[in-house]
Amino acid sequence: MTLARDTAMKNPTNSLKRRFSLKFLKTLVRIRKSRPPPSPSASSSWEIRWRAQKIKLAAYSSMALSVGSKRTWSRALTMKLRATMGNRRWSSWKGSKKMTKRRIVAKKNMEKRHLEKDMNSGLQQLRQLVPGGESMDPRSLLEETAHFVRCLETQVRVMRSIVEGFPC
Amino acid sequence: MSSRRSSRSRNIQSDSSETRITDDQISDLISKLQHLIPELHRRRSDKVSASKVLRETCNYIRSLHKEVGDLSERLALLLGSGEADSDQAAIIRSLLMY
Repeated sequence: MTLARDTAMKNPTNSLKRRFSLKFLKTLVRIRKSRPPPSPSASSSWEIRWRAQKIKLAAYSSMALSVGSKRTWSRALTMKLRATMGNRRWSSWKGSKKMTKRRIVAKKNMEKRHLEKDMNSGLQQLRQLVPGGESMDPRSLLEETAHFVRCLETQVRVMRSIVEGFPC
Repeated sequence: MSSRRSSRSRNIQSDSSETRITDDQISDLISKLQHLIPELHRRRSDKVSASKVLRETCNYIRSLHKEVGDLSERLALLLGSGEADSDQAAIIRSLLMY
């Protein structure tokens, strides 16, 4: 069952990288156009910070949208970002789904075992970091984390390429 | 449900469709994570504890977030300066790289 599950939930692919790049670049062009008319002097630091915030949000939302609804973390992140769009402040990740009885039971089962006793605080920290993590059972949390990390790496790689692609 | 090795505690009050999480599956997932984290990949030993993998994963995610923030600032600087046309050209060039 693990094998089937693995192939069904693939790791980030090249097509994801392309989808993300396209979405993100389009948003960047839009962000650039949204700036006030160019002035002879350099932009104020406030404007730069404002733009940086928009770019950061664009990066995460482009990635979450590119992943789509097939991952719990991407769904949770998309919902989270929609709620904060228009709000400048970047709030911390928090789960939005309720802890149903089934999830509470799954969590409790994990906590009983000796192997997982050492992991509990680590798992708890992970729940705060992975979007939607609060309501995941431990196995899903670990799977989603792996996918989330790889997507974040892809996001960083693409952003770095864009930054380095700019003529000095 | 297909039969699989499950470990000791059986007093689980779950739905019949609830999949039992085995220690093996957890170890599997933990080792997969271990291979993702550059910090742990360097060590090349199998002796990394699960809790250390989780801790390092959290640190790695935080560092990735920080990097996204830094790159966003650099992009903001790049987008804010220079001629309009050259910006667009640079962006399109980056796009064509893929």
